[in-house]
Amino acid sequence: MEHKDDSGLFFACDRQKTVESLGKETLLEMLNEMLSIRHFESRAEICYQQGKIGGFLHLYIGQEAIQTAALRALGPNHWYAATYRCHGLALLLKETPLSLMAELFGKATGNAKGRGGSMHFYSDRLLGGFGIVGGQLAIGTGAALTSKYLQKKDEIAVTFFGDGATAQGTVHESFNLAAMWELPCLYVMENNNWSMGTPLHRTLANYERLPEELSKAYDMKFMRLDGMDIINCYAGFKEALQYILSEGKPLFVECRADRFRGHAISDPALYRTKEELKKCMDRDPILLLKNLLIEQGWLTEGAFQQMDEEMREQMAAIAKAADNEPWPEMNDLEQGVLAPAKGN
Amino acid sequence: MQEQELEMREALRQAIDEEMELDSNVLIMGEEVGYYNGPYKITKGLLDKWGPQRVIDTPICEASFAGVAIGAALTGLRPIVEFMSFNFSLLALDQIVSNAMKMHYMSGGRFSVPVVFRGPNGAAAQVSCQHSHCVEAAYSNFPGCIVMAPSNAYDAKGMLKSALRCNNPVLFLENEILYNDKSMVPTEEYLIPIGEADIKRIGSDVTIISHSRMIKLCLEAAHELQLLGISAEVIDLRTIKPLDIKTISTSLRKTHFCVIVEEGHSFGGIASEVAFNIQERCFDYLDAPLGRVCQRETPMPYSKALEKETLPTVERIIAQVRETTCH
Repeated sequence: MEHKDDSGLFFACDRQKTVESLGKETLLEMLNEMLSIRHFESRAEICYQQGKIGGFLHLYIGQEAIQTAALRALGPNHWYAATYRCHGLALLLKETPLSLMAELFGKATGNAKGRGGSMHFYSDRLLGGFGIVGGQLAIGTGAALTSKYLQKKDEIAVTFFGDGATAQGTVHESFNLAAMWELPCLYVMENNNWSMGTPLHRTLANYERLPEELSKAYDMKFMRLDGMDIINCYAGFKEALQYILSEGKPLFVECRADRFRGHAISDPALYRTKEELKKCMDRDPILLLKNLLIEQGWLTEGAFQQMDEEMREQMAAIAKAADNEPWPEMNDLEQGVLAPAKGN
Repeated sequence: MQEQELEMREALRQAIDEEMELDSNVLIMGEEVGYYNGPYKITKGLLDKWGPQRVIDTPICEASFAGVAIGAALTGLRPIVEFMSFNFSLLALDQIVSNAMKMHYMSGGRFSVPVVFRGPNGAAAQVSCQHSHCVEAAYSNFPGCIVMAPSNAYDAKGMLKSALRCNNPVLFLENEILYNDKSMVPTEEYLIPIGEADIKRIGSDVTIISHSRMIKLCLEAAHELQLLGISAEVIDLRTIKPLDIKTISTSLRKTHFCVIVEEGHSFGGIASEVAFNIQERCFDYLDAPLGRVCQRETPMPYSKALEKETLPTVERIIAQVRETTCH
């Protein structure tokens, strides 16, 4: 795990072996999953501009490879906690695009009955998109405590957070608890270089090395992945899972990535030049996987265009359907503030 | 029914112990709860009995151990968090408010958070400005939680057992000064339901409403008022949120006068909330404006003399009752 690739930066995996182990069908599915996130969010962006969606809308566009690879490598039967940039994870955990789009539209049939909105998506395994930066670290750590307490040997808790959260106390406190109590936690820092509009070097001391050094400080395994490369991510997450399950200890993964949009939809990202953005987008994770599949002879440009177009149309149809979903009943407004006495 | 005389700390311990016996998913975590046997000895002996898996010593990191408990509650456990003092819970305010209280509603009912946050609240004895907050008004302002505060050992045990079976976040506010207080407690199991106030003294001339340690002062005041010919009814809220307005209204329709006593500050306090509820429901039954006795609007001073002056006292309660009832 200590081995680095040629750049000296990322986890060294045998790419060809990883590609072959995944195989054509799985990689095409993964490409399709990334396209579903991309088009779900692109459509949401349009709907926002049409006034159909309100509030905050934090897009995952550019970072899709990370969670797509994580879900594929880890499987769905773990606990997941996400940031407010949580659309992709909910889709990957098989919440229907319609229920998620309906949630964005604030409809009764939404993922959280129109109460959570963009930042708070759920599944039976997704404990939420969490809106307060860093708070979800403790939640994920608690889920891992449950897995250990109930002796669920194949279950871990996966917590995503951003580089910006790393300045929060809960990150450091959670690392301390997870390492000391030997909890099956996978902490995934999605480092997109921007804490909203503030670059990393103005939010973290020793920012280049901090994640790695932090892991060392808590005697926690560390792995840095190329968040734009789904193959590197998949191989890394696979090994991370194996480590956590066999050692019963937490592991910290830093994924270097770029988001292509602003922090949220209201952010025009003026802090980044067009050239810088273009450079990021040259490494679009969808393009990288597409090119790899074409090189393998498993995909043609034409077939890709068709997949892309189909997904675009599917999400357009879903937005239209979400628009027709019912609004919440006003009689329900005050229902469910508290859970019923019985049942969890 | 057989009874035993217990200190409040023993009653609380019995409640925790019995619920741990009944449900293997109940665990307790907090600072010093294990090997130290509890900062106030509430958890004395529990580590020996239940082991470190279920009696978990935490470092001093309220935000994250409260969050860990919430995460554990979301995924199937029923944790108890002991705050050494509710003053320290302020470090965990975001976890308690954003993640525990909002979760059931925010998730459209997909997740509930059965967690009890408990520990001493309010002033102890000369512990100064940062260790003496009454947090009930602050927490009660947020929807999505239950807030309880027992005034004696009997109530404490029955209320805590109900709290531990509740599927929602409960803030269970104890009081350091009451931990030694004894009362008779049945040896058989009993529960005191969430949301039920209790009439601690029956009277006919004025209703005094309070909770937690202030009940003792109210009862003392009521005794002295009786000597002055004023018969005071004393209502112990027990559960602050949801408020048992029915018990209050019934009493007020009888007495027509009311004084509310709160250890915490007056501005935006529990007394204000109770008073507003009263004027909504009992306006026509009131024969005088409502009175209140609260902590004065100062942080808690250290000096014994100043501390006594800023807190409600028996004398202030009596004076307020006499003013309200024009005696």
